[in-house]
Amino acid sequence: MANVLDLRRRIRSVKNTRQITKAMKMVSAAKLRRAQERALAARPYARMIVSVLESLRRRVDLYDEKTGNLCNALFLTRPEKRVLLIVISGDKGFAGAFNANILKTAYQFINGNPDREIDIEAVGRKGRDQLRRRYPTAAYTDQTDENGQTHKVRSPRKGPVEVTGDHPGLLVKLETSRVLELAHNVISRYTHEEIDAAYIVYNEFKSVIAQRLVVERLLPLIDLENPQITGAVEPSAEEKERQAEAALSAGIDIEAADTAEAEEEAKKFGTAEVDYIYEQPAEELFAGLLPQYIFSVLFHAMTESVAAEHAARMTAMDSATNNASDMIDDLTLHMNRVRQAAITKEIIEIVSGAAAL
Amino acid sequence: MADESNQLRVRLVTPERILFEHAATAVELPAENGYMEVLFGHAPLVALLGAGDVIVHCAPETDSDADKCGPTGESRYNVSWGFVEVLPGRVTILASDALKPEEIDVQRAQQQRERGEKMWKEAGESEEAYTEALHVISEAEAKISSATEVAKPH
Repeated sequence: MANVLDLRRRIRSVKNTRQITKAMKMVSAAKLRRAQERALAARPYARMIVSVLESLRRRVDLYDEKTGNLCNALFLTRPEKRVLLIVISGDKGFAGAFNANILKTAYQFINGNPDREIDIEAVGRKGRDQLRRRYPTAAYTDQTDENGQTHKVRSPRKGPVEVTGDHPGLLVKLETSRVLELAHNVISRYTHEEIDAAYIVYNEFKSVIAQRLVVERLLPLIDLENPQITGAVEPSAEEKERQAEAALSAGIDIEAADTAEAEEEAKKFGTAEVDYIYEQPAEELFAGLLPQYIFSVLFHAMTESVAAEHAARMTAMDSATNNASDMIDDLTLHMNRVRQAAITKEIIEIVSGAAAL
Repeated sequence: MADESNQLRVRLVTPERILFEHAATAVELPAENGYMEVLFGHAPLVALLGAGDVIVHCAPETDSDADKCGPTGESRYNVSWGFVEVLPGRVTILASDALKPEEIDVQRAQQQRERGEKMWKEAGESEEAYTEALHVISEAEAKISSATEVAKPH
């Protein structure tokens, strides 16, 4: 049986751990608050882009009257043989099952489509590390064409699933220019028919208690107003309760801030019931708007995922703190018992020694 | 149809946040094919924005937000690429990127211009590459010119 000294040492070490987890929780809570604000501030832009696109689409014929051409290749649907999957995970661990859940959803998607070739773009370090271990990385070779220009040409696939790129550090600061770059990359792959569809896997985060894991279709564009969610995993009631508890103890609003008014305002953008003068032909407008749209969907997914990651970490650290407290209570009780037993034993010895005299 | 105020409500929105919202008497916008000025009662319009300066001529407003508009009563933002929706009493600018002239890093803009010129030289036959190089150059030049214009004493 452990003696009092050992127990005291263990209590001290658990106390230290508790202090760390508590600090991490508070840090995550602060970061969550900031991430939530960012996600909120980014909403009007996204909403406006959708509205103006939607109204443009309603008013303008997608096919050119004279030439009969589709005005933008992104509206084109093809049979989905090659699919791009953008997996948005976290950069760091210690966030409970956050990263594991995202990867699980991604694997489910991959295993559910065994007959398709899937390219993976990994955003977030944790997801990248795991996916890279599991799937081969796409290889490119430089080839020179007849004009003396070098092009990157993709080598033959090593398997049906390949990781084509990663974006280390993208989530740390979330710079718009880098997200825009990714959007352009996705669009160029789609228009060059390297891929027939693009999906994103991410953790949607409306508020602490309203979040879920979704697989959303990014391309082709079919219905702009409603996101094309093809799979969603809701957290269990128990998980939600834990989240809410952690948020309350960290002083974070459980409900999402009320943005209905601003949203309504943003929805009106470009949709007024008047005849707009379109400064540029529809084709050019679409060409300018669609990259912005793709960008805003990606940016939105990333801001929400960052918020969700912090929320998950906050909850995990809150649980860890609670567990540490429970453990300290148990150990303290145990220590007191041991000490009492030692005292009792000593008294018995003294008493029995006295009786023997 | 004149409202008693004859003022425009101008909003400048970037992907990150709503940067600016204020009443104004006029706005100058860098549309893709040239600058235009919008006054109250303009016909509804949707246009692409190029790279350049948005200049908002602020209307005197009761709430004292002088820092927004500066002593000259106008507020200038360097924007690159985006859209604008004009309604008779409201202008909404959706910019991919917007900076105050003071925030512009001239050195970086110059580097960007050099990069653009290099791209231009290497573009060869590809039309796409030319357009891209042109984009980079015009963005850099707009930044440089708006930064120097503000630095110049009036």
